[in-house]
Amino acid sequence: MITRRIERAFAYLLLVLIGIIGFAPFVVILLLSTKARIEILQVPPTLDFDIDQIVSNYRNVLIDRGFLGYTLNSIVVTTLTVIVALLVATPAAYAFSRIPFRRRDGWANTVLSLRFMPAVAVAIPILLMMRFLDLDDTLPGLVIPYVAFSLPLVIWILIGFFDEIPRELDDAAMVDGCSRFRVLTSVMLPLVRPGLIVSSIFAAIFIWNEFLVGMYIVNSQSLKTIPLGAAGLISAQRPIDWNVAATVGVVTIIPIFVFSLFVQRYIVRGITAGAVK
Amino acid sequence: MRTAHPLHTRRDILLLISPAAAYLVLFSVFPLVYSLGISFFDWSPTTSSFTFVGLDNYAMLARDAVFWQAAVNTGILVVASIAIQVVLGTALALFFDLHLRGSWFVRGVLILPMLLTPVVVGLMWRALLNPDWGMVNWLLGELGLPKPLWTADPKLALVTLVLVDSWQWTPFIMVIVFARLQALPRDVFEASAVDGAGRIATLRQVTLPLLAPAIAFAAVFRSIDAFRSFDVVFGLTYGGPGRLTTTLSFYAWETGFSFTRYGYASAISYVMVIVATVAFMVLAARLALRRADAR
Repeated sequence: MITRRIERAFAYLLLVLIGIIGFAPFVVILLLSTKARIEILQVPPTLDFDIDQIVSNYRNVLIDRGFLGYTLNSIVVTTLTVIVALLVATPAAYAFSRIPFRRRDGWANTVLSLRFMPAVAVAIPILLMMRFLDLDDTLPGLVIPYVAFSLPLVIWILIGFFDEIPRELDDAAMVDGCSRFRVLTSVMLPLVRPGLIVSSIFAAIFIWNEFLVGMYIVNSQSLKTIPLGAAGLISAQRPIDWNVAATVGVVTIIPIFVFSLFVQRYIVRGITAGAVK
Repeated sequence: MRTAHPLHTRRDILLLISPAAAYLVLFSVFPLVYSLGISFFDWSPTTSSFTFVGLDNYAMLARDAVFWQAAVNTGILVVASIAIQVVLGTALALFFDLHLRGSWFVRGVLILPMLLTPVVVGLMWRALLNPDWGMVNWLLGELGLPKPLWTADPKLALVTLVLVDSWQWTPFIMVIVFARLQALPRDVFEASAVDGAGRIATLRQVTLPLLAPAIAFAAVFRSIDAFRSFDVVFGLTYGGPGRLTTTLSFYAWETGFSFTRYGYASAISYVMVIVATVAFMVLAARLALRRADAR
């Protein structure tokens, strides 16, 4: 009995410790973002806050360094990409799930394999292609390759969700004279909504964080997305202003944090959809 | 029946699949073929050289010490990260399976690192691990432990990269294994307990074998992603000190982006494409296995 209690106490201690390891880094970064440059050197950081300093740090990052604009760019690029990816992927996933054709599983795997290709291998061709289309250094120049990067995973996740919808529904609708396309738009779309949400979330996370190809495509300050802006802090020549870097960290983490509060159960569902069933 | 008509089905497939197929061929497959083509050229826009050199770039790779170092670094990163993440992730999943009060909240917290921008994760840990004023070394000092130089120490730089990658991605394995655990039939464990098997024995003989397919899938999936590691390296170490944390992706990017040697960069990344393709075949075999199980 006593050993059980000790075990239990120990388990709770471990739980708290895991929580701290997971979360403490964010608290420290939040704390550093409130400091002046020189105060960074003081460890541990003090807990007295200077409102003026905080305002100045965040104004510096959001306005002077343009992170408000970068966030806006990220939102525009992510939204456009997700919409286009869903429009293109949904009919394809539906066909993969429903209509038998030769080597269907092989083709589905080929599509998925594209998700695992190293981005660095396509970055140069994509830059050259966008230049050819006169779209380099534009936001559409980011959206076009990002849709291509998102499609494999979106199609893959959606196939899984379509597979869960009983086929009898299709047959019934088609006996009633609906075309395949009508079945998809009127019968399937409402039913596959969770799948659309899960796959949009995964596409959105990927695009929000994408950075390697973005660096090749975008040069203008005004067109940078958040990761490109954050990377701008890092340069071999100048030392990093760590209070600014920490503020950038907080500014980039907060939207993701808020996002995760709303979509957490879908994220878990999406990760596991690929792995267990 | 109308639906069974082959022509009808054929038209349906074309109508539904062709937008996605056309898009992927144009913007995914074509760039891959294009970069294979570029890898046969000596091409740099800055010096405006453009000559067909056949396999010379690949021959140069074989003699390039930096390339081999990057390959070894990438290999170590993949093997060490996946080993740590599989062990810790599985342990965490088993721990959360105790369903302690409040553990759902901690699980939620652990999801967050996976969603973060990797460049920012690298940058964030660079601050936390700073030898002079980072909180990690302050804590170690308070505990009377040695204070490593982390990314500045040649012996530890790659280890640090592995640790940061594990902080971000262990939860991925945890989520998959935990979900699998919840899906297992409980009576299996009860039967094993009735048979008098201890907890360790149950874990080794019943639980882990049942989890093995999920763990293997998660491990292969993560390996391919770790193999492409670029952003965290960029944020945390920028490939240094020297070349000690330069991964293949980082080297290919640096060659193409900073030094604008397009041909050579494409050759480096094409070696990666081949490795990733082989690794994906392993994953695809696992997927097929799973689908067969499900039937």
